[in-house]
Amino acid sequence: MRARTVVYVVAAVLVVLHFFLHVGLGIGGAAPDLLVVALLLVSREVGIGGAAGVGFALGLLEDALSVLAFGVNSAAMALVGLAGGTTRDLFVGDSLAFLVSYFVLGKFTRDLLAWVVMGAVLRGPFVAQVLVEGLLGGVYAAVVGIALMAVTGLWRESPR
Amino acid sequence: MPPPYAPEPEGTGGRRQKAMAVVFVLLSLVAMYLPDSGQQQIAGLLRATALRPFIAVQDRLVSSRLRAQEVSTVQAQMDSLAGLMATQASLADENRTLRNLLDLSSRLGPSFRGASLLRSGTPGSESMFILDVGQADGVQEGAPVVDRHGLVGVVREVRQQSAMGIDWTHPDFRASAMLADGTAFGLVETQRGAFREEDVLVLNGTAFYEAVPEGMPVLTSGMGGVFPRGIPIGSVAGVADAEGRWRKSYWLRPMVHPASVTHVLVGVGERIQDLSHVWPPDSAMTRDQAILWEYHMADSLRALTDSVAAMRAHLDELMGIPADSSAVAKADPTPPPGVMP
Repeated sequence: MRARTVVYVVAAVLVVLHFFLHVGLGIGGAAPDLLVVALLLVSREVGIGGAAGVGFALGLLEDALSVLAFGVNSAAMALVGLAGGTTRDLFVGDSLAFLVSYFVLGKFTRDLLAWVVMGAVLRGPFVAQVLVEGLLGGVYAAVVGIALMAVTGLWRESPR
Repeated sequence: MPPPYAPEPEGTGGRRQKAMAVVFVLLSLVAMYLPDSGQQQIAGLLRATALRPFIAVQDRLVSSRLRAQEVSTVQAQMDSLAGLMATQASLADENRTLRNLLDLSSRLGPSFRGASLLRSGTPGSESMFILDVGQADGVQEGAPVVDRHGLVGVVREVRQQSAMGIDWTHPDFRASAMLADGTAFGLVETQRGAFREEDVLVLNGTAFYEAVPEGMPVLTSGMGGVFPRGIPIGSVAGVADAEGRWRKSYWLRPMVHPASVTHVLVGVGERIQDLSHVWPPDSAMTRDQAILWEYHMADSLRALTDSVAAMRAHLDELMGIPADSSAVAKADPTPPPGVMP
């Protein structure tokens, strides 16, 4: 119960921090995608419905800043939340390998889905936008997410 | 009874979760295909509520960056202006010097020739200078070196294309001198101070009871044959010393500060005995006095121009001619470079 509360607090802080870094300070790609990290953390605590709802809400916030591709982020994040929520029924355990894969694949899937949903007119080259940026962003998110879990004590405590 | 390896039956919670997930995924798809106006309304609502603090932070940050850029631009403009002003000041000063020399040269005639004065800057050569004219130009040893304001020094050594001289701060400098009204005679020499800035001219050997008013110009007397008569050396600045009851010496305020001299006129050819007509008594003034005098002259001219323009405007008004506001010249209150108003 305590771990779940910590997860919610950490996720909320991550969401605020994400928008502060990306929108407030305009850092852009230099800052990690903390929304995905927050979503993936929360997804392990709530059911697939809740995870999809959180993903939809966070994606909608990102879409509010998108001029041409409204809905792309909400769709991608809702699906990632759904997938993240599903993993808790498939994988039990907090090994480092699992966490790294979880964050890297989560971020990669989010970028892949956004690229697919975005449409041919708006999206960039697949290699650059998905393979390179998606994987690098995934590693970045994994480092930040695991560090956060270690700092907040979430890594030692099983979510289930 | 369910089969032993069949999946666990889902409870109502699991079904509700799946239904919620489907609903949210569908909602996200609906959001994608909303009409533009609907999308903009939702986006605007979110920007005005949840995202408002972050957008405000960005606004402030951008404003700060813009202000910082403006400060940098203003600073750069100020630096450019300061540089321009500094350049203009030196140019104006050089222009004034050259104009004065041209004016002086026209009065002196062909017996003096323009030259640039250089200083080597090496230790021990502080009172010496090099001229870029020499024997080939008719310069001879002992030729006087003058500028618009008076005596600078004398040529000591002449080469084919250059010459060396000493200015009045040199310990060997001597000049027979007299008051501008011709009432007292003496010998002007240098008295070294603890610092070079303290070097002063002293008028020696004047009669004790001779009245020497302060501010009276002191000119070369022409005696001794070194310097022609009538070149300003300085003006009396006070009594320096009195010996017994038979001799007095006076401090002189020099007409020329050698450190600021860059262009001079050098005597060439036949020695002229009298130059009194070149520096009339009312024109004997130091460089600073001359600059101030020029400024006052320019100021008077501007005031006169304003008066004429105002009178002309008044006349046009009386005659019914539309007034031309541009005809009224604006007086420039800025003094020339190097002069305090």
